[in-house]
Amino acid sequence: MSWEAEIVDGLLDAEIDLVTQLPDGAMGAVLEGIQESDVDTLRVEREESAIAAASGAWVTGERAAVMCQSSGLANAINAIGSLSAPARLPFLALVTRRGDLGEFNVAQVPAGYGLPGMMDEMGIRHTVVEEPGTLRKTVRMAADSAFSTRTPYVVFLDATVTGYGQEAQ
Amino acid sequence: MAADQFACTAAVIEETPDAVVVSNLGVASYVLAEVGDRERNFYLWGSMGSTTATGVGVAHGTDEQVTVLAGDGSLTMSLGVCSTVATADQSNLTVVCFDNGIYGTTGGQPTPSIDFAAAAEAQGLPAERVDSDDEFAAAYADAVARDGPSLIECTVEPTDPEARPTFDFPHIPRRVRDSLTE
Ligand SMILES: Cc1ncc(C[n+]2csc(CCOP(=O)(O)OP(=O)(O)O)c2C)c(N)n1
Ligand SMILES: [Mg+2]
Repeated sequence: MSWEAEIVDGLLDAEIDLVTQLPDGAMGAVLEGIQESDVDTLRVEREESAIAAASGAWVTGERAAVMCQSSGLANAINAIGSLSAPARLPFLALVTRRGDLGEFNVAQVPAGYGLPGMMDEMGIRHTVVEEPGTLRKTVRMAADSAFSTRTPYVVFLDATVTGYGQEAQ
Repeated sequence: MAADQFACTAAVIEETPDAVVVSNLGVASYVLAEVGDRERNFYLWGSMGSTTATGVGVAHGTDEQVTVLAGDGSLTMSLGVCSTVATADQSNLTVVCFDNGIYGTTGGQPTPSIDFAAAAEAQGLPAERVDSDDEFAAAYADAVARDGPSLIECTVEPTDPEARPTFDFPHIPRRVRDSLTE
């Protein structure tokens, strides 16, 4: 099974109702897979809005996930820090993490490489997935824990999973 | 001319008593609390610029009316969110932008002057501009009745309310959720 299909299955297993997202090239097949399922998707103008919309959905009983690139999570730090975390509005985030192994673009490095540490500083739980084999289970378990503990959970997908651009080679 | 933010907020509750009302941090939430605390008042204590997107998320999961009370400074911070409201195309969502011309909550510094109705329309979100209590009440009734989201830009006099929502932030969305799901 492709890593993309594993993620889609994990989201279905987790009974996610809504995926808020701003497109990322690496996640194209994941988005297509979700759009072929019964899960609703919402494209936002800025990732901060993806976090806010996913957080807002919780008050209706829904389970929402956010999909974005690490630069997008960096765009959304204040929404996490001043809405989702303090108001206890849970969501699952699936974040393609740039800036580490194979990265050619230095503009992706400070935020992408640093985000797991930034999440630690903010008390936001996360895991960095480097091998695709257990992705379906990881996505399911991250979502289950987010919604049962009423706290956000971020799953970072490293380039070892998603592949990487070799523009500089 | 300028409308009264208390009268307009009260008109929202009177027209749509069961609505989830998502209120911008600061003055909009203080006015809402002073007009009357209710289970479905989703006061925000932070996330300037994210009030409207929070409302989009709420509107996705319920058929009840969802009304966002935004501020001009906060909407300016994320003006592109009007495109997200237009994209989501939810018939139960209304965005009110209370334009007091200032960052009221932080002491009254002037905000950039923006034609919010034009900015919303340019992003595909129908909008109307009002500057009196009566005009607001009529525009709000129209907005709720229409089959799609819209924005009302309401010019208001600055105000400095006494009331505060509970400081127990997690309690606020919990109460909204219980009211919608129990
Ligand atoms: C990201 C961020 N920037 C700045 C602030 C400080 N701040 C809190 S409320 C506010 C003013 C908001 O202005 P507006 O949306 O016009 O609402 P008003 O206070 O006028 O009702 C500001 C600047 C903040 N809390 N968060
Ligand atoms: Mg203002």
